Parts: sequence; C-alpha cells; structure tokens
Amino acid sequence: MTMAVREAGTAAATRPRHIVCEGNEAAALAVAMVRPDMLSVYPITPQSSLVEHLAKLCADGRMDAEIVDAEGEHSVLSVLQGAALAGGRTFTATCGPGLAFMFEPYWRTPGLRLPIVMALVTRDGITPQSVWGGHQDAMTVREAGWIQIYCETVQEVLDTTIMAFRIAEHRDVMLPVNVCLDGNYLSYGAARVTLPDQAGVDAFMGERNINWHAALDPLRPMAVDPLTGGSGGKGPAAFLRYRKGQCRSMQNALRVITEVHDEYAARFGRAFAPLVERYRMDDAEMALVTLGSMTGAAKDAVDEARAAGRRVGIVKIKTFSPFPVEALAQALAGVGAIGVVDRSVGFRWNCGPVFQELLGVLYRLGRPVPTASFIGGLAGADLTVEHFHAVIARTAALLGGDVPDGPIWVNEND
Amino acid sequence: MGHAYATIAFEAARCDGCQDCMRACATAKCGSDDISRARLQVLPAVLPAGQPLDGGAPASFELAMCRQCGDPRCVAVCPAGALAKDVETGVITRNADTCVDCLLCTVGCAYAGIAPDPADGRVAKCDMCDGAPACVAACPTGALRHVTTARIYNEVGDWEDLFAPGLAGCQGCNSELVMRHALRRVGPDTVLATPPGCVPGMGSVGYNGLTGTKVPVFHPLLTNTAAMLAGVKRQYKRVGRDITAMAIAGDGGASDVGFQSLSGAAERGEEILFLVIDNEGYMNTGMQRSSCTPYGAWTSTTPVGRETKGKSQDAKNLPLLMVGHRCAYVATASTAFMQDFYDKLDKAIAASKHGFAYLHVYSPCTTGWRFPTERNIAVARTAVETNFVMLWEFTPQDGLHLTHPIESPRPVADYLKAMGRFRHLTDDQIGHIQAKVEENRAVIAQIAAGAAAR
Amino acid sequence: MDTRYLVVGSSHAALEAVAAIRMHDPDGSLALVTRDRHPPYSPTVLPYVVSGRSVPESVRLRDDRYFTANRVTYLPGRALVRLRPEHGTATLSDGATIAYDKLLLATGATPAIPPIPGLDRAAYHVLRTLDDALALRSAIATARRPVVLGGGLVGMHAAENLVEAGAAVTVVEMQPRVLGAYFDPIAAGLIERAFVAHGARIVTGRRVVAVSREDAATRVHLDDGDTLTTDLLLVATGVKPDLAYLADSGVAHEAGILVDDGMRTSVANVWAAGDCAQARDFLTGRPILNAILPEAAEQGRLAGMAMAGDPGTRSYAGGVPLNTYRFFGHHAIAVGTVPAGAADHLRHDAAHGRYLRIAVADGRLHGMFGVDVFFDGGVMRQLILRRTDVSAVIDRLLADPLRTGRELMSRMWK
Repeated sequence: MTMAVREAGTAAATRPRHIVCEGNEAAALAVAMVRPDMLSVYPITPQSSLVEHLAKLCADGRMDAEIVDAEGEHSVLSVLQGAALAGGRTFTATCGPGLAFMFEPYWRTPGLRLPIVMALVTRDGITPQSVWGGHQDAMTVREAGWIQIYCETVQEVLDTTIMAFRIAEHRDVMLPVNVCLDGNYLSYGAARVTLPDQAGVDAFMGERNINWHAALDPLRPMAVDPLTGGSGGKGPAAFLRYRKGQCRSMQNALRVITEVHDEYAARFGRAFAPLVERYRMDDAEMALVTLGSMTGAAKDAVDEARAAGRRVGIVKIKTFSPFPVEALAQALAGVGAIGVVDRSVGFRWNCGPVFQELLGVLYRLGRPVPTASFIGGLAGADLTVEHFHAVIARTAALLGGDVPDGPIWVNEND
Repeated sequence: MGHAYATIAFEAARCDGCQDCMRACATAKCGSDDISRARLQVLPAVLPAGQPLDGGAPASFELAMCRQCGDPRCVAVCPAGALAKDVETGVITRNADTCVDCLLCTVGCAYAGIAPDPADGRVAKCDMCDGAPACVAACPTGALRHVTTARIYNEVGDWEDLFAPGLAGCQGCNSELVMRHALRRVGPDTVLATPPGCVPGMGSVGYNGLTGTKVPVFHPLLTNTAAMLAGVKRQYKRVGRDITAMAIAGDGGASDVGFQSLSGAAERGEEILFLVIDNEGYMNTGMQRSSCTPYGAWTSTTPVGRETKGKSQDAKNLPLLMVGHRCAYVATASTAFMQDFYDKLDKAIAASKHGFAYLHVYSPCTTGWRFPTERNIAVARTAVETNFVMLWEFTPQDGLHLTHPIESPRPVADYLKAMGRFRHLTDDQIGHIQAKVEENRAVIAQIAAGAAAR
Repeated sequence: MDTRYLVVGSSHAALEAVAAIRMHDPDGSLALVTRDRHPPYSPTVLPYVVSGRSVPESVRLRDDRYFTANRVTYLPGRALVRLRPEHGTATLSDGATIAYDKLLLATGATPAIPPIPGLDRAAYHVLRTLDDALALRSAIATARRPVVLGGGLVGMHAAENLVEAGAAVTVVEMQPRVLGAYFDPIAAGLIERAFVAHGARIVTGRRVVAVSREDAATRVHLDDGDTLTTDLLLVATGVKPDLAYLADSGVAHEAGILVDDGMRTSVANVWAAGDCAQARDFLTGRPILNAILPEAAEQGRLAGMAMAGDPGTRSYAGGVPLNTYRFFGHHAIAVGTVPAGAADHLRHDAAHGRYLRIAVADGRLHGMFGVDVFFDGGVMRQLILRRTDVSAVIDRLLADPLRTGRELMSRMWK
C-alpha cells in the first residue's frame, strides 16, 4: 500500500494501481493527485486520519503543498480563502463541531466564489455528545450555498474528490464543493480501490486558473467584496445581480457535475451516477431514496427483496446540493410508494431532511405519492440489510394506503 | 512640493541645566569652553511664574537658538546678501566674507537665534553641525533631540497615496492619517486586509463595486483577518512573489473576536504586517465597548448610570500579549510621535518579511471619545506624556525597550479631563486609573529591565 | 505686455513681495521693473561699498538664475513714468506699457536735496544708488577736507568711511545731535565722542545757508557765519519718495503713498510697500514714512501675500523704528520709541561708553536703546508689538537685557 501510494504521488507513475485503504486516506491520496497549493488543517474525529495522511504526504515529500496547521476550523477555511484569492488550489476537511465553528467563513465562501474543496466527514450533531457518523452536520448547512456531493464507497470518495476540483473550478460554477463521506463508515472503512494514473489526472485537471474572477493581486489591484446592498443607489440591484448569479451557477453545477462525471468515466473507466443513481428501478412499484454509504446495505436488501418478488428499487442521491429536482422526478416517475431514509433529523417538519426536500419533487411529479420518512443510522448506529428489509416492508404498506403521520425511527428497537 | 528639514527640539522638562550642550557647541564652533559663545543658550528661568507672559506652566529652562525658519526674517533684512537658507539642508548659512557686521539680522530675528559672538563681535548662529549637532550628542538627559521627522514629509510626500481621495472619516480622525501614511510607506506590492471597522467604514474597500484603495484590498471577517492574510501571503511565497501582506485592523476585531486568528497566525510566524489602530472600542458602529476600552470610559454599552459609571474592567494590553507570542516584531506607536511611528513601521515591514510583525497604534477618536476635532494630536500626545500609553518596541533578540520614556509623567487626570468619555469619573475611579497606569508602567519597566540586563 | 503681477522696484520690499507671491502662486505671470541697471541690491549696503568692505559684485540680493527659476520677467533700467489704474496699465521710461492685474509700487526713495541757495550749482555727492556709491568711493581717495551735510545713518556711515580713508571730515547736522531719529542725547553723545576721537568734526545745531564754488573748492556757509571749504561735499539730509509717476493716477499720497494695513493703496489692485509707502505707525496709529529696511521687507511680504491671495495674509502690525549702527568697532541699537510720559530706565557706564535705556509706559515696553550693550532687537520688537507688560521684570531687563529678553522670548513663543 505504501509503495503504491508513493508511486501514485509522483508523475512517473502512469499506470493504475490497486491498493486497500480507508476513505480518509483515499481522499488524501486524491488530493495529492490534483497537486494542490495549499492545505489548511485542524484535526477532529472522525476526520483526523484524513489530515494526518495529508500531513504525512507533505512531510514525506510525496505532495508539494503548503500545509497550514491553523488553530481552529474558522482559521482553516479563512487561510484557504486567502490562498484561493491569491490563485491557489486549496483543500481541507472537517466535520460536525468543526463545521459549526467554521460556519462564519463557510457561509461566506460561496459568495466569494472560491473553488475550495472540502471533505466533509459527516458527523452527527451535538448534543448529546457524540463523535460518530451521521448527516446532521451537512444537513444543517445545506442553505449555505456549497455544492454537496455524497459518496457511497471508498472508491467513490477517491474519484469524487478528484472530480470535485474540476467541478468547483469550472468557469460556469466557481463554487466550493463538499465531498461528503460518512464518518466511521467511509472514513475508517477500508476497501480495495483503484488509483488513477497521475498523468491521467494531470491531463484531466488541465490548466489551473483559480482566481481569474476575483484576485488579491498587486498586479491587477481590485477591491474584493466591497460593501454591497442597502436600500439606496446601486446597492439593491448590485446585491441582487450578485445573488442571482450565484443561484444560476448552482444550477449550472447540475450540468457541469454530469459532464465531469462523463469525462472522468471516459478517461478512467469508472462511472458513477453524477446526480441520482437508479438501482433496479425498472418496473419498480416502490422506491427507497438513500444518501451515502447506507446505499450499500440498501442495495443488498433490495436484491434479496427482488429475489422474493418485490418490485422495489433504489434512487440514491449523490448530488444533494444543488438539489437535482428534475433527475429525481424522472427517477421516481413510475413509483407508487417512496421510503426516504435519512441519517439526520429535520426538527421543524418532524421528518428527515431528505424527505422534506423530496416532498417538493412530488409536487413536480404532479401526483401525490405515498411517502414515508425513515430516520436511522444516527450517531454511528448501523443501518444493516435487516434494517432495510424493515424499511422495504413499511414502504410496501404505503401502497395499501397506510401512510404514517410521523417519521419511523429505524434503530428504535436495536 | 516644498522641502522639510531636520531640527533640534528642546524639552525643557527634561533639562537639568548641566550646560553640557553649550560647552559642546562652544567647543565645536569656537574651540572654546566659554559657554557665552555657544550658539544655543539654555537659560534657567527665573521670572515669576505666570507673569508677565502667561503661556502655561513656566518651564525651568528656556532656550534661545536659531530655529532655521522656513521664511527667515534675518535673511530678508540682510542688506549684504550674506545670509541665505540652504534649500538642501534647511540651514540658514552666513557668509562671513560678505557680512558687513551691520547687526540688522539681530533685529530681524524674533527668536534670538543670531547674535554677536562676544569674542569678535561678529554675528554667529547655529549651523546644525552638518547634520550631527554637537549639542544634542552632548545632552545627557534627552532634553535636546535632533528631530529628523522631516524625512517623512520629504520622502513620503513623494510616494503615492495608495488610498483614494475622499474617504469619509469623521472630522479630525487620525486613523486616516495612520492608514494613508502606513500604506504609502509599505507601497504598491501589498495585499491589504481591512476587517470591518472604521477603516473600511470610511470607504477604503469601496461600495457597490467601486474601490477606495489602489492596492488589492478586501474585507476579511471581523474574526479572521490574520488567517486570510496568512493564506494570501503563503500562496505568493509559494509561487516566488514578494508581496507585503498587511492588515489595518481595529482594536475590537483584534482583541476580541479576531484574537484567536491573530494569536494563531502569530504563533505560526506567518509573514504578516498586522497594524492595529486602537481607538479603544467599536467606534465605527456607535462606540461600543471592546476589551481595549479602558476602565471608566463611557461607551454606548458601558453607559454612565446610577449604578455603574462607564466600563468596570481594565483594558486588555493587546501589544503585550503579542510580546508573549514572541513575534518577530512588536511595537506600540502614537500619531503624536510620527517619527517614532515611521521608525517602527520600517522595522515592522522588514520583520514581516520573515515573521509576524505587530504594530499597535494608539489613535484617539474625536467622535467616540468626545473631544474637539482639532485636539486629536494633542490628546494622543497627552496619553503618552501621562504614561497612559507607553511607546516601546520588542524583538525576540533584543527584548523590549521604551522608545520614548517619560521620566516625569503628568498625572493621568490631565489626560482624562481632555475628553468627554471620562467626564463622569469619580475621584476613586481616577485613582484606580492612575494606579493602573503605575502598574502597567512597572510591568513594562520590569520587562524592559530584563532586556537591558541581557 | 500683460502680466498678472507687476512689481516696480528691486530692493527689499519688491524682492520680499516677489518671494511671497511665488510662495502661494508658483505660476502666475510676474514682472519686476526697476529703474536701476544693476542687479538688485540694498541701499543699506552702500556705505560698505564706499568703504570697500563690500565689492559691487557681491552685494546683489538676487541674480538672473533666481529670476529664471522663479519665472520672473526682470526688466531693469526702466522707470515707471505713468500709472493708469483705471486701465490697469503702467507706462515705463522706454515707452512700453504693461497691463497688470495686480501692481506693487516699491519704488523706494531718492535723496532729499535741501533748498540751499547755490547748492544746485555746486558739485556734490549723494548716496542712494550703487552708482552713487561707486562715484563716492572714487572721490574719497583724493578727498582731504570732505563735508557731510546730514548726521543721519547715511551721513555718519560715509563720514566714518572718510575718516578711515584719512580725511579731515566735518559733519554738519541741523538738529542738536546726530542720529536724532534713533538715539537720545546720551547715546548720540557717545557716538559723537567716538567720531571726535577719530579726528572728525561734528557740527550740530547749525543750518547751511548757502553753498558757493570757488575754483575747485566748494564753500559751505553756516548760519553762524562759519564757512567750511571742502573738496568733497556729500549731501545726506534724508530721502523722500519720488512719486511723479502718480500724477493723475488717483492714488492717494502725502509724502508717501498712503496704504492701509493690507498695504493697499486708495486704488483697486494697487499696493505699495517700503520707503515709498506711508503706513500706520505702531505707536500713534498715524500713517508715517518709516524708511527702514526691516519695515520695507515686512511690508513687501504682506503686500505680496495679499496680491497672491495667500490665506495666511495678516494685517500690518504697524511700523516700529528699528535700527542698528556700527561705528569704529562699537555698536548702537535702537528699537521702538519713547512716547511722551514714558518712564525711563537707564544705565550709563560713561567710563566704558556703555549705555542702555528702556522706555516703559503703562508697564509696557515701548523702546530699548543701547550703545555697546547688546540685546536681541528682534525679540524686543516682538515684546513691543505684543504690548508686553514688563513691569515685573524691568530691573532684570535693565541689568541683563540679553538673558531676560531671551527668557521672555522663549516663553512668548511656547
């Protein structure tokens, strides 16, 4: 493994290599392959091994990047903002409380239109005090304006991390990207992965131009982020124009994410559904909607249910922000029941956040589909094949008109 | 643009009457130890206090010497063209060959700056000893100083002002003075961070797509100035470009909510020039308290009421905390002492090329402190003269030393009464502040003594 | 030609005005016209030219380089002959007419020749111009029995020069003492004593009633019947402005051109300064001719500032008599006046010829006069102008005018 890593980190290594590594290491290796300028890190469980791998790669000379050991996540992202405004390709990773502490600069990054990539090693919210996986952190910031892409496997973590830079830096996008990998399951889960060849990644990444739009550069002085808005003069129109452009770029991202995935598949031979994956959805009368690593267990359960004659499939959301409304509407077009499985809670609607978002898709479908919200896997709890059999069974009940009036807590009887 | 010149300043309060200056002058100019031949005359004051000229407290010593006037009367009244002002040095020179000894210059001069040498009856005057005045070198108390601040005007005046004209600071604000001077000194190869506060508030980052600065400038968050600049600087260093990463921040952001990122950047030795304009509160947004607000001060969040009268805690000594970080350079400065400020600015710029440089400028706020707009520099000076503010610098190599020690500080009440924010103070509160001034002085003196002992 | 500023004259008042104009207005067109053909010089230096102490080449106060650098059109050898303020024009002796926006008259004064019968047919010298000085210098070489009419500063300086040249000089002064405009009888007595000691004859209180010629010699007939035969007659009985050019101009004048405290004449855009101007006396408030160098410089400066619109323009403080006089290695200084009813504070060391007089009225300093007692005249002038109460320090001032004056000065300027 170590050997393979070393080769992967050098331009001389041109052939694909196979290694076994955990998701955090896969992310770090992917970062090394895109040759970033600046990394800024602060350790937090379950992200820590990711930044440890970054530090080791730099320390060993296998990655030529500045690494700033900032004194907290707030500064971590702030350092990267500065570096990006000076033209640097940047990366960091955090989770849970770290993301909460980072929120002020996090909230600002999309507005600065900086193509920063950040692995979000998802972690449940506190309190109760918890250090384990869950999507609560990512869901909490879903209106901050970042692109958020969820991975299902360690391989997908590696490949998506590479693609994330292309997506973020695309001229029609210029937005920061969270590559979401489930804490514990993907961060620490080891799997066999295939490393792309460095020359191929170099070619895939192409020319670097991070700050063509906004720069802190004495050679072309400008004010970055002057005061904008208010109720008089050019302010309101200027602010609106800016925000509208940001929304437009978010929608552009749906197209760019798809294009980048297609190009990646063509170059490296590994294809992932960019927005939404349909799994065994042909002729399905009901669908499970999943997010992230839970999808593996869900697929096993669906395979078994199909073998038992149930017409059930899975619609896995990969790109959660921007929310792929059209893709979901198409994927769910023929189903009579939907079970949405969330790894976090939506406090306001008493349901999972993905479920809540999906309700909008149903409006787009033009017919009321019986839908249930399943909440499970909180704070590191397992979502097993057995759990998904229960989910499938309960979703099947929707077909008969038995729609629950609240969420179903999957791990309640564990 | 005109030319400014070095001068010799006399601080009567520091003079002990030793007459070393006059001996040095007589020796240098006449080869004599007869002090009546010296071209400066320090005179013990014997006139009764307060009369006949009531210009404030009478000093113990008075000085008569040539002031090297910009528009010299002695030159104007010389019929022989023997006196002239040297435009390079500013010294008024006398040509002994063409001087006809008419003495008209002595009736032209209102400062007793030119008079006959008792030995030969021919007029003589100070010639500044070719830029190295013997009197100043001989002065053991620092009462005489060779003030070379003129270089600020001469050199800096030719540098481009890198802020746009028309920034909307309050009337009498000297933050604008600090900003403009500092940035023109640092120069155009600079990336400037101005976190929320008075500096961007007056328009330095601009509005709605327009900029107020001719160098790249940005609003960091109030909280992350040092971190963002660290990223900028490190990226440029990575690609081999030498830029100055400079912050002009307020005391609130630096000492309160931005302190973590400041501390972190200082600890990491980020190569940043971090300049804090300390006006002791959040003055841009309506004069709220910061941790740099001094005890007893009225602010809009430490109002004067029946129960409490102003801030009930002492100010955080932010520059001293930065000393604790062992920064490459830490200094305090005051707009009333621009030469000192410029010396420190130069050192801070140099230090920022290899480590974290922190410059803390005490900057009175006419609006928030409630004093007349024309009194800003006077208030700044009084802060120093009372030791309410102390001017010092620190490097890890040489430790801390005072750059403008005040041997006989005025009572702090002189400072407090100069502004409205302290108008309500009780005697007990004034006593508390005086005690804190003493305590702070003792702490600084102890650190300075430790440095001197090395 | 047209010019924004026209300055007529080339001595202290004119030159100070030029400097003041250029201080505020570096670019406005400026012409300086003077009847003298020599580069600008001071009449005050002429006795030193006569004695040979100064050489003509070294007494210039400005040179061509100065005029070029300051963009001054320097027109020597042309006198002002006619002024048409209503047209804003000045006609010169060469026939040229200059149109001006602002005009300064600093035309100085010419020797006042007393109406003595026969004088107009006699050969005599005056001393007002450099040409006069050069002529007198030549004549001194061969003069054996010179007679000086007038015991003012010019006469006394010339007399000393003649004494030093070895001639038997007689000074005839109509007043009871020499230098009566500046010095009291004691001081004048000390000065006369020095002259007598050096072989000069001082005739005071005598009027010249006629002058006649006999061969190469000139005879000067006094009112007491005495007759002086001389081979060099110098008429030094004062000066007066020559204002013929003002005919029909409407510019109000008495003996001199009347000016207000801004050096403005009675006519718009015309100022006057120096020996030709009649400005307010500090003590009496009446307009007086105070033809001394320091006042000329001060008035010229104020006029120049006013002409250029310099916001620093001040009002004229009023004329204070002010002079210094060196004779045979001694010195005498006179500052101010002795108003009627003033208290006199004197010290007189007859043995050493040292004398000091301080005139105080209402506690305030009005005048200080010394012979071989040096004090800072410029400081005393300030104390007079500021109407400084010196009653508390008068004893010290008398005992030690130098130190006491300097102490007062230092405190005054704080």
